[in-house]
Amino acid sequence: MQILAEAEELPKATNIKTQLVALWIAAASALILLVAFIAFPGFWPPMSPELTADQVASFYRDHTAWIRFSMVTFNLCGIMLLPFFCVVVVQMKRMATQSQVFAYCYLSAVVSGATLFALADIFYAAAAFRPGRDPDLILLLNDLGWMVFIAPVGMIVAQNLMLALAVYHDNGPNPVFPRWVGHLSLLTLFAMVPSACAVVMTNGPLAWDGPVSFWLRNGAFATFTIVMFFVVRAAIHRQAIEEGVAR
Amino acid sequence: MSTTVLSASGGDPVAPHAAPASKRDLWIVFWIFPIFFGLFGVIFVLLARVIPPPRPDVTTDQKVQWFAAHATTIQIGFAAVCVVFGGAAIANGYVAYQMKRMSSGPTFAYAYMGSMAVGTLPGLMLVALCFLAATLRPGRQPRIIALLYDLGMLSFNGSLGCFATGYLAFAIAILYDKNAIFPKWLAYVSIWQIVTEVIATQMWVSSAGPYSWNGSIAFWLAVIVFGFWLNCQGICLKLATDRQPAGSRPLD
Repeated sequence: MQILAEAEELPKATNIKTQLVALWIAAASALILLVAFIAFPGFWPPMSPELTADQVASFYRDHTAWIRFSMVTFNLCGIMLLPFFCVVVVQMKRMATQSQVFAYCYLSAVVSGATLFALADIFYAAAAFRPGRDPDLILLLNDLGWMVFIAPVGMIVAQNLMLALAVYHDNGPNPVFPRWVGHLSLLTLFAMVPSACAVVMTNGPLAWDGPVSFWLRNGAFATFTIVMFFVVRAAIHRQAIEEGVAR
Repeated sequence: MSTTVLSASGGDPVAPHAAPASKRDLWIVFWIFPIFFGLFGVIFVLLARVIPPPRPDVTTDQKVQWFAAHATTIQIGFAAVCVVFGGAAIANGYVAYQMKRMSSGPTFAYAYMGSMAVGTLPGLMLVALCFLAATLRPGRQPRIIALLYDLGMLSFNGSLGCFATGYLAFAIAILYDKNAIFPKWLAYVSIWQIVTEVIATQMWVSSAGPYSWNGSIAFWLAVIVFGFWLNCQGICLKLATDRQPAGSRPLD
């Protein structure tokens, strides 16, 4: 996209530029988070809830360095995705034929959801801080880390529901997002809901290491976020052209 | 009121394209408010057993027994919370949205949204996590189960400032508002909510009696005021939705 020279200093051009900056911060952070995801030994394979306290404690003892590296990285870069979701809010506020109510509720859910993600890595990292701690306490921190990371999907449910409803109510001549974004948003929501069972199950597909609660949930969220990156980028470009800021 | 709101929507660059809108989007979000708080009541009272609260003045063994006796319903209730607690964000987001239509400026609308979004974690999710961690492995050491019992109950009943800030923001915004989005008396009810939060500070130093986390003053008085306030807020939200002109947007 080429910002027109005559529009360069206008506030509406700055609005486009800051949205693009937020988008690329998210893209860079997502790559770093992928590295952290690959580097965390507890994900390959995901740690079973059936491990004993001694097994969990020795896991943290044997992999201390990699656990610290990945959790510090999650800690530093996880919330860097937040600006991306704020761009979604900005785009939702542009939607025609609606009152912007979905955008406000979406923002409210995004903020609460992000605090949970910020909490999960604290538990894992605290367990790795003193691997010599009483194994029962390491097990407790590990349980809390896994539960917070996998199970409380309610805020994503809320934000994807608000996004889908907003898309379905965007009936103007120039919809901000294509209609299939609403369907994808709901599909992602349904793929992630079953992982709430991870707080109860200790084995099987719904346990936190299971294919549904771990791989389907995280795969769905990652795929949705990547697709939304391109959807949002295209929406910003359309906004720039509609507002006469770019060609 | 309508003059102000319409002039605001007239200033919006997208509004001229907007077709005469229905208010269906507002009503969908509005109905999430009573549905969420209804579910919240059922889950916290009947399933998770944190209202009425379990006693603070019991031994470690009694705490372990309490979890053993209610493990199944705690697990069902709090697993359900993991799915539906986003309803709190939508309900609070909708209140903030209506506050954004007030003539009192966006400051306290944002403050309400922010403080309630922060409060969701210590005030709602942490107790669920503590109790789920306790029930996931009943064979944990009793002293760890007892810690989760205290941590869960204190975070649930003892998260005061997030909500006090939200109520204060709500009350101030209503009192300054000239668009009559919410009635002035709702602001005064909200101030009583702040008073109950201040009284509830005593549960952090009192492990038995009326000022403890299950006490008649620190807990039950607060719950009664909260129940009254929440119903008033829901009704006023319904009236505000009724009066909002179709196709209008909040002030910038």
